[in-house]
Amino acid sequence: MSRHKDRTPKDADLLQGTLDMLILKVAALGPIHGYAIVGRIRQISRDALQIRQGSLYPALYRLENRGWLKSEWKTTEGGREARYYSLTKAGRLQLEAETAGWKRLCEAISLVLKVAE
Amino acid sequence: MKWVGWFKRRQWERRMDAEFRFHLDSQVNDYINQGFSREEAELRARREFGPLDLAKEECRDERPLEALDRFLRDIRYAFRSLARSPGFAAAVILTLGLGIGATTSIYSVVYAVLLKPLPYRQENKLVSVEVSVPQLGDQFPFLPPRIQDFLRWREARTAFASMAASVPIQRNLTGDGEPERLNGARVSANFFSVLGVPVGLGRGFVPEEEQPGRDRVVVIGHELWSRRFGSDPGLLGRSITLNGINHRVIGVALPALPVPNLTSRTREQGRLDFWIPLALSEGELRNRGNWNYGVLARLGPGADPEVGRLQLEGMLRDGLRKDLPEARIEAFIRLTPVREIYVGNVRLRLLLLLGASGTLLLIACANVANLFLARAANRAGELATRIALGAGRGRIVRQMLTESTLLAVLGGFLGIMIALSGVPVLLAYGPGDLPALMAGTGVNWNVLCFALAVSLLTGAACGVFPALRACRAQAGMTLRETARGSLAGGGAARFRRLLIGTEMALGTVLLVLAGLFLQSFVKVITTDRGYEVDGVLSVELPLSGPGYESLDRRIAFYRELIERVRSIPGIVAAGAISDLPSGQETGTTTIFRKDDTNAASVVLERPVAGVRCATPGYFAAGGSVLRAGRVFGQSESTRVALISESLSRRLWPGEAFPLVIGRQVRQGDVTGPPITVLGVVSDFRTGALDREPLPQIYRPYNQAPRGRMTLLARTAQEPAMLAGALRNEVRQMAPDIPVPAVRTMREILSAAVAPRRFLMALTSLFAALALTIGAVGVYGMVSYSVTCRTRDIGLRIALGAIRSDVMRWVFSQGMRPVLTGLLVGLGGAVALARALRSQLFGITPTDPLSLCAVALILLSASGLACYLPGRRAAALDPATALRHE
Repeated sequence: MSRHKDRTPKDADLLQGTLDMLILKVAALGPIHGYAIVGRIRQISRDALQIRQGSLYPALYRLENRGWLKSEWKTTEGGREARYYSLTKAGRLQLEAETAGWKRLCEAISLVLKVAE
Repeated sequence: MKWVGWFKRRQWERRMDAEFRFHLDSQVNDYINQGFSREEAELRARREFGPLDLAKEECRDERPLEALDRFLRDIRYAFRSLARSPGFAAAVILTLGLGIGATTSIYSVVYAVLLKPLPYRQENKLVSVEVSVPQLGDQFPFLPPRIQDFLRWREARTAFASMAASVPIQRNLTGDGEPERLNGARVSANFFSVLGVPVGLGRGFVPEEEQPGRDRVVVIGHELWSRRFGSDPGLLGRSITLNGINHRVIGVALPALPVPNLTSRTREQGRLDFWIPLALSEGELRNRGNWNYGVLARLGPGADPEVGRLQLEGMLRDGLRKDLPEARIEAFIRLTPVREIYVGNVRLRLLLLLGASGTLLLIACANVANLFLARAANRAGELATRIALGAGRGRIVRQMLTESTLLAVLGGFLGIMIALSGVPVLLAYGPGDLPALMAGTGVNWNVLCFALAVSLLTGAACGVFPALRACRAQAGMTLRETARGSLAGGGAARFRRLLIGTEMALGTVLLVLAGLFLQSFVKVITTDRGYEVDGVLSVELPLSGPGYESLDRRIAFYRELIERVRSIPGIVAAGAISDLPSGQETGTTTIFRKDDTNAASVVLERPVAGVRCATPGYFAAGGSVLRAGRVFGQSESTRVALISESLSRRLWPGEAFPLVIGRQVRQGDVTGPPITVLGVVSDFRTGALDREPLPQIYRPYNQAPRGRMTLLARTAQEPAMLAGALRNEVRQMAPDIPVPAVRTMREILSAAVAPRRFLMALTSLFAALALTIGAVGVYGMVSYSVTCRTRDIGLRIALGAIRSDVMRWVFSQGMRPVLTGLLVGLGGAVALARALRSQLFGITPTDPLSLCAVALILLSASGLACYLPGRRAAALDPATALRHE
C-alpha cells in the first residue's frame, strides 16, 4: 500500500481514486478481464484516458481485497483461460457513492471556474 | 500448517503469472493483428505494460493475509536465531518473567481491591455517614452516628435519596451440628435496597419487620448457607436458632457479596453471615449517647454531596444541642465513599508494592536491553551482511523488534505462570485486613490483558534502542570495519554504563526500602506491649443463650472454669477478660473524678478510657505489672476498679501511684456511683502498635459483667501443647456454646502485624531479586568488555602490566556506574522514605545503619560481579590474548 503513495505522480496518472472508480464502472457492465478493461476505458473515453497497465493489476487486487470486486477464471472467446472480474454488491454501493462524490466535485469545480470567468 | 501456507502461496503466484501472461499475450496478438512483427509487438507490449516485477511486487502487497504472513516469517526467523543462542534466550526470558510475574501478581491484588467495580448499583453514589469530633480526634478518628440522628435524617428531605442503618453484632448459632459464633449485623429494612443489591434467594426485609416482636426473621449469607445448610433451598421459611431465639430464614444473600461494616475500617471488614432487622427497643431509643449506628446513604440523582453533608451536619448539631445541652460538642459530618471503607490506608501499601514490582520490572528491562546490545554487537557481522545484500534499515529494526517482543511474550508467559502460583501464596500470607475484597483476587482476563500489555511494552522498550543503535552503527561502515569494537566502544559503551547505573539506582531504592521496612518490622514485634506474648493461650467464650441468662450462673461458670483450667498440669495462671489487650476497644467511656460536679464543664479534660472487666486471675495470666495497690479478690464488697498508669496520670497529674490508691472515680457520668481505685497496673499497647496506649479501667467481672469473655491461661511450657487440654475443659463445662480455636498470644499478635509483614516480605523479595539481576548485569557488562578488550589486555600484560593493574582496570570499568547508581539511589531512597514515614516504625528515613548496610551489600555483590571476570582477565596469557580475534 505504502508504495502507491510514495510514487511520484506522472502526467498520465489519473487523479488518485479515479482509477478505482473507472474500474468499478467498467466491471459493472458485466464480467471482464484485465486486458479488456484497459481497452474498454480507452474506447469509452475515446482515447482520452490511457491507464498505465502496470498499475491496473495492483488496483484490481486491491479492489478484490476490499470486497468490491470478485473474480473467476473463465475461457475467453479465443479459447484461453482468463480471470474475469465482476462487481459485488458492496462494490455497487461503493461505485454509487464514488460517482455521486465525483459529480459533486465536478459541479463544484465548474462553479468555481464559472465565477472566475 | 506451514506447507499449506506455502502451497497456497505457490498457487497464488502461479495465477498471478498466468493473468499477466494472458494480458501480454493478448496485447501482442492485437499488435500482430495491427501488422507489427512478432518481435516488435512483444517489445511494444512490454513497454506499454511497464516494469513487470514492480507490478508483481505491488500485487503481492495486496495478497490477502500478506501482513500476517510476513509477521509469521519474522517470528520463525526470530525463533531460529534465538535457538542458536539458548543461553541468551533463557537469561532474557527468566529475567523478564520474574519482573512480569511480580508485577502481574501485585496487579491482580490491586485490581481486586482498588479497581474492580463493587457489585453495588451506582457505587459512586453510596457513602457512609460519619461524625467527627475534633476534641476526640486522637482517640476516635470518626464516630458512627447515634440512632436518634439517623432517625431524624431519615425523616427529613435531604440530598440523599435513601438511608439505611447497620450495627454489627455477634450471635451463637445452635441447632444441628457444632455451636458456632457468627458475625452479622442488625440492619434497617431497606439496607439491601440502599446498597443496591438484590437478595439472592427469597426476599429482603419489609418495613413492618423493624417493629420489636415482628423481627424474628433473618437473611443469611451465601457462604453460611452452603457450608452449614448444604445449599438447601428448603431452608427458606424454616427457623434457625440465634442466641437461643428462633429466627425464620426469609432470604439468602448473593454469593461472595462484600457488605461494608460501617462502624469500623479496613481491618474489620470480614465476612458477615447473617442480617436481622434493626428493631429498636425502648432502651435503645432512650440512650442518647450511643455512637454506634453505621449509616449508609445513597445520594439522589444529580445531588451535590456537599449540600447533603451540610444538611446532615445542621440536623446533627441541632439534635446534640437538644439531647446533650450541657456538653458543647463540636461535631462535623464526614461522608466516606463506600470503597474507602474497604480500602482505607491499604491503598498506599498496595500502590507501594505495585511500584516496587514495577521497579523490579524496569531493572529487568534495563538488564535485558543490555543483553540485547551485547548480542547486537556480536551479530554486527551478520547484520552488515544483510544490509549489504539489500535488507532495508526498517526491515532490520523490525526483525530485531520481533525478536525482543517474542522474548518478552515468552517472558510474559513465564510471568503469568509465576503469577498463577504466586497469587494463592499472596492470598494465604496476605494481610488479614482485606479479606472482603482480597477474596476476589485471581488471575482473570483483566489481569491477563495487563500481563500481555506489560510484555509487549517491555519487548518494545528492551528492543527498540539496541535495534536503532545497531542500525546506526552499521550506517556508513564497510563490512570489514564492523568488528565488535564498534559497538563495544564509544556511544554504546556509554549507553550500557547508563543502563547499569539506572539498574543500580533503582535497586538501591528497593534495598533501602526493604531495609527500613525490615527494621520497622523487627522493632514492632519486639516492642514491649505491656503484656505477656509468649506462653499465653487464649480462647474466646461467648456465653449467651438459654442457661446463661442469670448473672450468678455466669459468675459461677467462669469461677469454676478458671479453677479447672488452673488445675491442668502445666498451666500456672488463668483468668478472663472482656477484650484482649491486643485487639480493638469495644467499650470506652469518660472517667470523672469523684469531686467533679458539672459534667459539661470538665468533660473535655477528663480522659476517655477503655472499659474492661476481668476476673482476679487475669492480671497474673496476662502479664500486667502492678505498679501500686493490689488486684481484685474473688468478691469485693464495694465498687472497685484497677486503673492503668496513663489513666492515673490523666486524672491526677504529677501524683505518685501509691497516693492514688483508695481515691474514687465515676464512670461515664458525674452522678454515677463512686468506684474506689484498688491498684494501678501497667499500660498496654495494641498488637499492631497503631496508636498510643489508651487509658484503661478494669472492673471485676461480678460487678460489671459482659456476655463475651476471653479466657487467658499462662503456661509453663510450650503453650500450643496445652491447647487441646484447655479446649476439652471448656467443652465439658459448656457443650452448647461455640468454642473458637484456642490461639496463642503469639498467633494473635502475628495476625495483628500481618500487614506490616506482608509489606516487608514482598519488598525484601523484590529487593533481593533486583540485587541479583543487577549483579548479573554488572557481571555481564564487565565480562563483555573484558572479552572485547582481550587483545588490549594481552598487549598491556606483554608490555609489563602486572595482574593488579589489570584488576584495577576491570574494577574501574565495572564499579564506576555502580557507584554513581548507588549515590543517586541513596538520595532517591531517602526522599521516598520521608514520604512513606507512616509505614515506618521506630526508625528514621535516614537511618544510617540501613543506608550503610545497603551500600555494603550492593558494593560486595557488584564487587564479586567484577572480580570474577577480572580474575579471568588477569590470568590471560599474553601470547594467546594477542592472537584473539
